[in-house]
Amino acid sequence: MKLLIVEDQAKTGHYLRQGLTEAGFNTELVADGSTGQQLALTGDYALLILDVMLPGRDGWQILQAVRGAGLDTPVLFLTARDAVEDRVHGLELGADDYLVKPFAFSELLARVRSLLRRGSATPQETCLQLADLRLDLIRRRVERSDQRIDLTAKEFALLEMLLRRQGEVLPKSLIASQVWDMNFDSDTNVIEVAIRRLRLKIDDEFPNKLIHTVRGMGYVLEERDA
Amino acid sequence: MRRLSLSNRLALLFAACTAVVSLFAGVLFSRASEAHFIELDQQLLDGKLIGLRRALHDIQSSESKAKLADELSRQADLSLRITGSDGQRWYDSASNLPKELPQKPGLSTVNDDGTDYRVLNAPLYLDKPDSPQLTLLLDITHHQHFLQRMQHLIWLTVGLSALATALLGAWAARSGLRPLRRMSAVASGVSAQSLNARLPEENMPPELAEMAHNFNAMLGRLDDSFQRLSAFSADIAHELRTPLSNLLTHTQVTLTRPRELEDYREALHSNLEELQWMAQLVNDMLYLAKADHGLLMPKCEPLELAEEADLLLEFFAPLAEDAQVTLTRDGSGHIEGDRNMLRRALSNLLDNALRFTPANGEVRLRIVDQPKGLSLTVENSGDGISEDLLPRLFDRFYRADPARQEGSSEHAGLGLAITQSIIRAHGGQIRCKSESGWTRFVIELPKGD
Repeated sequence: MKLLIVEDQAKTGHYLRQGLTEAGFNTELVADGSTGQQLALTGDYALLILDVMLPGRDGWQILQAVRGAGLDTPVLFLTARDAVEDRVHGLELGADDYLVKPFAFSELLARVRSLLRRGSATPQETCLQLADLRLDLIRRRVERSDQRIDLTAKEFALLEMLLRRQGEVLPKSLIASQVWDMNFDSDTNVIEVAIRRLRLKIDDEFPNKLIHTVRGMGYVLEERDA
Repeated sequence: MRRLSLSNRLALLFAACTAVVSLFAGVLFSRASEAHFIELDQQLLDGKLIGLRRALHDIQSSESKAKLADELSRQADLSLRITGSDGQRWYDSASNLPKELPQKPGLSTVNDDGTDYRVLNAPLYLDKPDSPQLTLLLDITHHQHFLQRMQHLIWLTVGLSALATALLGAWAARSGLRPLRRMSAVASGVSAQSLNARLPEENMPPELAEMAHNFNAMLGRLDDSFQRLSAFSADIAHELRTPLSNLLTHTQVTLTRPRELEDYREALHSNLEELQWMAQLVNDMLYLAKADHGLLMPKCEPLELAEEADLLLEFFAPLAEDAQVTLTRDGSGHIEGDRNMLRRALSNLLDNALRFTPANGEVRLRIVDQPKGLSLTVENSGDGISEDLLPRLFDRFYRADPARQEGSSEHAGLGLAITQSIIRAHGGQIRCKSESGWTRFVIELPKGD
C-alpha cells in the first residue's frame, strides 16, 4: 500500500514520511506540485496527502488533474488556511478529507486509516474479539473471560470502535466524532471520563489490561505483554 | 478633479437660484412691457387708420391731400405709404421710409437703418377687393431704447444679486458648517492613543446632534474594542509565555547531560502536552479571529433542538455521572442553524456548567420555543458568580475561577468567547444571570422566516 505525500515544507514532509513509514505504510514524498501531479497520475498510490500551497501546481490543481483523469484515489488535504470557502472548495473538487495545521499526527494517522479502509469493503462481522474480550454485534452483548459485562449504548459503541480499530491509536477528537458525532474542537475531558468508565467495566477486574492510554495522543485497544 | 467644498457648493447653489429667479422676473417684466407697448401702438394706429381712411375717402379730390397733410401733421412720428393694388408705390409721407415693408395685413415691427417702426397694413377701402393699400409707420425707436435699457438693467440685477447671494451664501454656509469643522478637528486628532476624545453634543445644532452622538458612540465602541484587542494581544503573549518557558526550560535541562531513555521519553511527553495545549490555543484563537472578521458563516440546517440537546446530554453523561450532577433537558424547539457550531456552543456551556456545579447539584438545559425566536438556557446550581464579574465572563482568557488563572490549566478561557461568537454569527445573543443559587446562561436565537 503506497502513499504519496506532496508537501513543500521540508521538516513537515520529513516527519510525515517518518511517521507514516513507521506506522507501516510505504510512503513517497515529493516537494513540488508538478512532480507530485506526475506521480499522482500514475495511479500507483492508495492515498494522496496534498498540501494546498505548493510550488509548481497547487494541491487543488493536482486534485483536479487526478479526478479529471478518472482516478478516484482518496485525497487528504493539509493546509494552514482554514477559510470555510477553502474547505468547501476542496470538498467540491472531490477531496475526501481536510486537516488544518496545526494538527496532531495521531489525528492524521487515524484519518489516513479511515480513508484507506473506506475503499475496501470489510466483510460483515457479527463478532469482534481481542484476547478474551468478545463483543457480539447481533445480540449486543459483551463478555470477557465468559463473564457478561453490561455496557450502556455509548459504551458499547465506544468499545466497538476500539475493537474495530484495535492496535490503532485513536485520538480523542476522532472518538468524539465517531461515537458521539461531536465534530468540533473541544477541550472537555468527556472522552477521558468515558474511557475511564469503560475501563472500570472491561479492564479493572482482569490482570491483562486491554485499553491503554498513549500519552498525549489518544487511546489504543491491544494486547500487551505485562 | 478636485471636488467643490460644501460651502462653495451651497454658495453656488444660492447664486444660481437667485439668478434664475431674477432672470425669470426680468424676462416676464420685459415681455409684459413689450406687449403693453404693442397694444398701445395698435390702438394708436387703429385710430389713425380711421382718420386717414376718412381723409382719403375721395382720393382723387384735391382737398383730400390737404386733409391728409393735416391728419399726418397731428402725429409727428407717424408716416404713411400708399401703395396701389398693383404694388406701385403711390405716395410716401416722408422721404426716408424703408424701401421694403412687410405686405401681410395687420401689425408688425420693422427695423430699418437704426430706426424701429411699428407697421400697420390695411386696405384703404374695406369694400373693394382691389383697393390701394395703406401702410402706417409709427416710429417707436424710443420705446425700443427703453426696452433695451430695461434688459440691461435686468442682466445687471441678475448678475449682482447672484454675486451678492453667492457671497452671503458662502458666509452663511461657512458659519452654519462650523460644527462640522469642529467634528473634523476632533476626528483628525483621534488615534489609537486618544480614542477618548469626544464631541460636545449639547451645543450642536439639532441636525448635527444625532451625527455627533453617533460619532461619539462610534468612538466609544472603537475605544472599547481597541482596549479589548490590546488586552487580547497582551493575553495571547502571556498565555503562550508559560508553556513556551516550560518547553524551553524542560528541553534545555533534559539536554544538559546524558540521561536514561525513560527520562527522554518523559521529557518528550511533557513537551507534547504543552504543545497540544498551545495548538488548541492557536486553533481557538484562529476561530475567534475568523468570527471577528465575519468569516464564521453558519450553515442553515433545520435542527430539532430537543434531539440535539439529548445528543449533547448523552455526550456529557459520563462527566455528569462522574461529578454526581443531574443533567436534564426540558422543552423542545425547532430552528435553522449550523449543527456543529451550535453543538460546540452548547457543549462549552455544558462543560462549563458541569465544572462549576458541586456534587449532588443539577444542570438543566431548557428550550423555550417562542413565535419570534428561541431561547436556550443552560443553568446550574451552585455558588453563582458575583454581579461585577458577569460582564467580563465572555472576555477572552477570562477565568472566573482565580485558581485557574495562571497558565497551563486545561482550559485557556476561550470557551465562552467562542460560544458568544457562534451565537452572534447566528444573529443571536447570549447573557449570563446569577441569582438565588443558580447561574443561567441564556441564549436567544432569532427564527428565520
